[in-house]
Amino acid sequence: MSDSLEVVARPTTGTRESRRLRRQGFVPAVLYGHGEKCVDLATRREALEAVIRHGGRIVELKGAVKTSALVRDLQWDTYGVQPLHVDLVRVDKTERIKVRVPLDLRGEAPGHRAGGTVNMVLHEIEIECTPDTIPEKIHVHVGKLDVGGMIKVHDIELPAGAKAVTDGEETAVSCTVTIHKTDEAAPAGAAEPEIIGRKAGEEGEAAAGEG
Amino acid sequence: MALMPKRVKHRKSQRGRIRGDASRGNRVVFGDFGLQAEQPGWLAAATIEAGRIAASQYLRNEGRLYVRVFPHKSITSIPLETRMGKGKGEPEFWAAVIKPGTVLYEIGGVSEEAARVCLARLAHKMPIRVRFVKRRVM
Repeated sequence: MSDSLEVVARPTTGTRESRRLRRQGFVPAVLYGHGEKCVDLATRREALEAVIRHGGRIVELKGAVKTSALVRDLQWDTYGVQPLHVDLVRVDKTERIKVRVPLDLRGEAPGHRAGGTVNMVLHEIEIECTPDTIPEKIHVHVGKLDVGGMIKVHDIELPAGAKAVTDGEETAVSCTVTIHKTDEAAPAGAAEPEIIGRKAGEEGEAAAGEG
Repeated sequence: MALMPKRVKHRKSQRGRIRGDASRGNRVVFGDFGLQAEQPGWLAAATIEAGRIAASQYLRNEGRLYVRVFPHKSITSIPLETRMGKGKGEPEFWAAVIKPGTVLYEIGGVSEEAARVCLARLAHKMPIRVRFVKRRVM
């Protein structure tokens, strides 16, 4: 089920206007796609955060524009707390779209019990599906993953109707034995880094000269 | 042996000012959870190493720790009871310049509870205020 998002038209653009909007509790947005005109919009921050919290990728726009849209991109502030801008793309219910969906590991790997570490090489994969069938997460079952084993993209079970766009030969999850470094001090090497463009003999003299 | 660059162009650097927030290296990229700086500062190579050891002692052989910062800056000091002048001091240690928002460490392959405990232990070693962050899906 898609969330609805109330949007208002944004007559002004630019950094300063966007900052003013954000101070008033809005988030600048842009709607594009399907060869139609690009529209500058704004939405209430709480409403957008609710959509993000629900994990919705498809939103029904209300207000200034009435259409279905895919949340293509989100820009965040430095701390990843407040959304700064959102990109929306027009979508039809019937068309197939490409989206990036996060992977979620399920089960316990036998390799983990044997002392290995399960590494997520890919945290998300790109799939092609219809807007109605976009999964929130793709579950990857690691119940048969032994030490030295790997799960490739083509091994991942996708929802009905979905097709992987990411190369099937790419490794998504692997199980390896991690070699942990000992915490003791390593043997002493060079106490100072090599100076680029200076010969070994000159270093001592130059250092003395500088000091 | 603490972290330091292999090759540098100059042995000594000017102090500089830490202005603004981190616009790069401010997201959890490799692991699932991270420790994000909330204040600017220098992170000495010894401190980075202390954090790594604190985390690896807690994690044992579980999960994986990623250190996201490297000490590129040499910090000099002049000896005590030295008269003014006679030029800049000698490099004492190497430090990473941290802007607010920088992700310092990341952890993957462990539960959130374990990651929180581990990063809390690590946070005690840090000279700046830090916070726990998760990987963002969108």
